[in-house]
Amino acid sequence: MTAGFAKPLLTHELGSLAKPNWRVKAVAGRPLEDRDLEEARSWGRRLGVDGHEELVELLGRAPLGAEDRAQVKRWSSRYGVRFLETVGLDVVYDGEQQRSEMYAWAIAHAGGFEWRGSVRAFDNKYYSKAAVTGPISLRGPYHNEEFSLLRGVATAELKVPVTGAYTIADWSFDEHYFTDADLTGSAAARHARRREARRRFILDVARDLIRPNLEALIGLGAGWLQIDEPGGSTAPDELDLFVESFNETVAGLDATFSTHLCFSDYELFFPAIEGMTECRQFAVGFANYDSRELGRKPEDRPGYRVIPKFRDLPYRPALGIGVLDIHTDFVEPPELVRDRILHAVDVFGEPGRIHVIPDCGLRTRSWDVAYRKLESMVAGVELARRDLGL
Amino acid sequence: MPELRAYQHGICPRSERLVQATRDVERGRTTPEAVDEAFRADRQALLAVQREARLDHLSDGLLRWQDVFRPLVEASSGLEAQTLVRWFDNNSFFRAPRLADRPALDGLPPELSRDGDVPEDAVATLPSPYLFSRAAETTEDRDRVLGDLVRGVLRPAVEGLVGAGFRVIHLQEPWLPFFGVEDASWKPLEAGLAELHEASGDATLVFHTYFGDVAPHAERLRRLPVDAVGIDFVETDLDALPAPWGTGLLVGCLDGRRSLLESADGTAKFVEHVAEALQPPEILVSSTSDLELLPREVADRKIRLLGEVRARAAEALE
Repeated sequence: MTAGFAKPLLTHELGSLAKPNWRVKAVAGRPLEDRDLEEARSWGRRLGVDGHEELVELLGRAPLGAEDRAQVKRWSSRYGVRFLETVGLDVVYDGEQQRSEMYAWAIAHAGGFEWRGSVRAFDNKYYSKAAVTGPISLRGPYHNEEFSLLRGVATAELKVPVTGAYTIADWSFDEHYFTDADLTGSAAARHARRREARRRFILDVARDLIRPNLEALIGLGAGWLQIDEPGGSTAPDELDLFVESFNETVAGLDATFSTHLCFSDYELFFPAIEGMTECRQFAVGFANYDSRELGRKPEDRPGYRVIPKFRDLPYRPALGIGVLDIHTDFVEPPELVRDRILHAVDVFGEPGRIHVIPDCGLRTRSWDVAYRKLESMVAGVELARRDLGL
Repeated sequence: MPELRAYQHGICPRSERLVQATRDVERGRTTPEAVDEAFRADRQALLAVQREARLDHLSDGLLRWQDVFRPLVEASSGLEAQTLVRWFDNNSFFRAPRLADRPALDGLPPELSRDGDVPEDAVATLPSPYLFSRAAETTEDRDRVLGDLVRGVLRPAVEGLVGAGFRVIHLQEPWLPFFGVEDASWKPLEAGLAELHEASGDATLVFHTYFGDVAPHAERLRRLPVDAVGIDFVETDLDALPAPWGTGLLVGCLDGRRSLLESADGTAKFVEHVAEALQPPEILVSSTSDLELLPREVADRKIRLLGEVRARAAEALE
């Protein structure tokens, strides 16, 4: 088990932070404005990023060549780590500053996929969607470079977020495994063929793409790997496939594995995840569904109703409770965070198995808002610790 | 032989250019005027694809809609768009309408108006009252909410749309096939649809079920007070449906969730087979669900394919 994993009310971030304008523009080869440079300077100062003036100087030479752009990405990673460390989190990463996006980054390093275009997730938020068109393979480990850099930069413990097999498959079109489009004949037989094809697709992603990438990370010394599965409960009749893909991904590997679930009807995961015995922690987004009123009683905390089901799993995973709604600029007051935690402790018991997290990555918020939200989260944890006598 | 029409319903995906424009405006990289222009250009391009495909009714593609409820929610008192909720079994989310008070449409929102470049006899899409009442966040009795939504929001919307020249009112109903329906809820649904049917006058009112198998509900569905019932034939077995069908039938035969293109010939033959097997008085041909879950380029191809399917099926049914 990773060091510090059992610290009561352990805090960590979950995934991506927004990419600063200076990083976006410099990497896109666009000119930067004075305010972009000022953003790099002021955040560098605020976060205590060693040598940040070097970055400002580098940005001043934009538009940049390929090597300098790679350098900017590395700087962005340093800023991301310091952002999360400075705010006071126990476990950090870099806000995925080097990745394009959790799905796109994995697909860009996979064989067997072709891009098809943008598809809406919600409102004006879109993601690039690919289709599987041939045998799946790993073209090259795609988190090694960032992990190697962060290991040398971070002072807090690292946890590597890795997009899971089910989500990769679910967010892709299938143009390879199931190509039947004939509507005549029995729908039941067609559905059975579709399901079998789907299973082969998901398990091929697990075995031939995600697992070798994890093996590479573990070889570099990664100890805690978070399998991100925001797509995990998309299809209620496929939860067995989700569980099978997780197990296939991690079986026999020597590391701590956790998973992140968000924006789902979490009731659906039960009883299927009773079979995910290698999962040491479930990080779950709850705040999105919760009230903003204070109170620790069950009726005060409607977003956290499913906690007893995690408590009653036949193995003893930790539960990461989302206490920040990442879809809004509303900064949860520390007292609200405290009450959400105290409610979770009342229901789940054992603060040593409760971790405190945002619902999901904060990339849709500005750095200023994300920082204030996380600051408030850390302050809320302190209030809860005091209340619990920890 | 049944009358045959084809149209594309629901929200169509935005082009890559428009996606970029909406992204840019949120990040202060472009102006709202530039985004308006991108919307206009996108709508015209989408109308051009439908014209080329010779569809019988055109749609503006609901390009400005953030989800199927949003324009109605934002234009109504008593409703708020809030929690993000998964759109059935898709990697797509909507903001659940929250009932804060008895809902009332305060006026037809601009998203529902017919812009100058959209011809009369166009198709308009609305959430079905059953879907609306079930997707809403409320602690009230949902059958009563259904009635409130019909009277306060959907009926005035239908009247406004018909007054603006829309000739097809397409009601989206994925909830019923996906989650099912209690016996006691059929009556309020039938009453709500009857009210909308009355409000729709000479326009065609379509109740379109998708994302699930509706064979178990077929007997009730074909007696609903609407002009046509839509069926997702990717999920529902043709052989499990009663014949003769007895009312109009929207044949959802192009998969709105798959990027693979169906064969025009094979799909037209399937439409022909449906016509022979169920003998509906009218057939409307369309996609199983709206095309929002596809990238625009793929959606455009599906719309062109829909035109081909319609032409071939019409020829075969003559």
